[in-house]
Amino acid sequence: MERRVVTALPVSELQDDGALVSSAREGDRAAFGCLYDRYARMVHGILLCRVPPPEVDDLVQEVFLAALRQLHALRDVARFGAWLAVITRNRANDYYRKSGPEAALTEPVSEEQTEGRPHNPAEAQEAAMILAVVRTLPDAYSEPLILRLVEGLTGPEIAARTGLKHGSVRVNLCRGMQMLREKLNDRAKGAS
Amino acid sequence: MKDDYLWDGSGEPDPEVQKLEKMLGRLRHDRPAPSFERVVEVPAKTRSRFLSFRLPFAFGAAAAILLATVTMILFLRSRPVPNLGPAWDVARLEGAPRVGSKAIRGNATIGKLGVGQTLETDDSSRAAITFDETGRVEVERSSRLRLVTNGPGHKRLSLERGTIRATIWAPPGEFVVDTPSAVAVDLGCVYTLHVDDSGAGLLRTTMGWVGFKLNGHESFIPAGAVCATRPKIGPGTPYFEEATPAFRDALGRFDFGENTAAERNSLLGIILLDARKSDILTLWHLLSRSNEAERPRVYDRLAALAPPPEGVTREGILRLDRQMLDSWWNSLGYGDVGLWRMFEHDWSKRPPGTR
Repeated sequence: MERRVVTALPVSELQDDGALVSSAREGDRAAFGCLYDRYARMVHGILLCRVPPPEVDDLVQEVFLAALRQLHALRDVARFGAWLAVITRNRANDYYRKSGPEAALTEPVSEEQTEGRPHNPAEAQEAAMILAVVRTLPDAYSEPLILRLVEGLTGPEIAARTGLKHGSVRVNLCRGMQMLREKLNDRAKGAS
Repeated sequence: MKDDYLWDGSGEPDPEVQKLEKMLGRLRHDRPAPSFERVVEVPAKTRSRFLSFRLPFAFGAAAAILLATVTMILFLRSRPVPNLGPAWDVARLEGAPRVGSKAIRGNATIGKLGVGQTLETDDSSRAAITFDETGRVEVERSSRLRLVTNGPGHKRLSLERGTIRATIWAPPGEFVVDTPSAVAVDLGCVYTLHVDDSGAGLLRTTMGWVGFKLNGHESFIPAGAVCATRPKIGPGTPYFEEATPAFRDALGRFDFGENTAAERNSLLGIILLDARKSDILTLWHLLSRSNEAERPRVYDRLAALAPPPEGVTREGILRLDRQMLDSWWNSLGYGDVGLWRMFEHDWSKRPPGTR
């Protein structure tokens, strides 16, 4: 059967995480830049599940800066992805602690976020609506779905980057997609 | 399999998934890596005042630690040297909280809490302690809290009585709170922990989730759930507060009561009868807390409310297969238990010299 891989990032590249982390710890900023390239979409996707879209890009930078400062505290360098995912979720929690509950998750996607991409207001609105529906799902489902549908990571890549088991990611993707279909169908019925 | 396309892009394309990819892909992260050489200098400049404070403070602290250590060696040879680290800032929120014998009052709004020191509030005082890269802990009235260890990547407090509200942004497993009846491990969250004079505790998670463990009993408490603990017993079974009163009452008696077999049987019957979809958190925990005779009933009720995922069998669950229990948990939507297992080794043993 023909196999189409969604992204060009092979899972095998993760084998070098430990070496990159070790180099970054010793002050090699280029190595940390490689880790950024590898994990920025994961961080972006996790944040997109939890904070208003216009805040996400700035928070991505903050997460990586926090990771850089705390890199010495990482015990198992091979677990960098899982560790970074937790820092990201914590940063999202901290965002609400600092900004209060009034920071609505439904805040619209900004023009800046779609800057440089073909702009179609109707499509942008529909994307924002779908994103808002995805975020109503439990975190365990919305997170892999956003990593898959927004960030374009495959299931195996999501598992490798977040440190989760393949089985968990597959089940959560499947169940999340089922719930999303139901919610989108309900919405379509409601609209008609 | 029919979900192959969703899983890794292989197999027959799913038109709905393709449409969602096209719509949502426009939001994908596409910014190049910043120059971290340059970026890290910015916070260094903005934090220069903080650093200029910290460096002399670090030298001062090192001298104080050296002096304290020499003193301890000379006068307390038989006592182990504690793991000293920088002190936590204590802010007075109300009244006159005390650090050791020193009250923070009047214009002095800031104090320091060092390793081994105790922060105590009375019925009219409150305080907050912060540590830059770990989090903030608000200490409510009538509380007593001790800083046990403060090493890199490991902060440990002991709540002897009272209430704390913790907002933690350190990586999971780094922030641990001992109570007389359980050890609470932060897994990235906001939570409230209360300990009464008998040593019994109640933990309520607001965001993220917390792990509770003692004597081999472990409880995972996601946002919105609460969990009680009792001295010598450890953590009870977590539950969501919207559970029915009968459910909660029966659960409390099941966890902590001195019940006969018939009473236990009756209490479990109430729990299972009153369990709703939102109580699957409780039922999953009850699988490993029930005995062999009780477990099949718990399994059947949980399976009716949340069918086990592929690969999880009744037989496996009844013999408490750890992998199957974890797989079932992961399918419930409360987060991945692998997170707990990953960090478990970091905190499960209390440091020497602590109770």
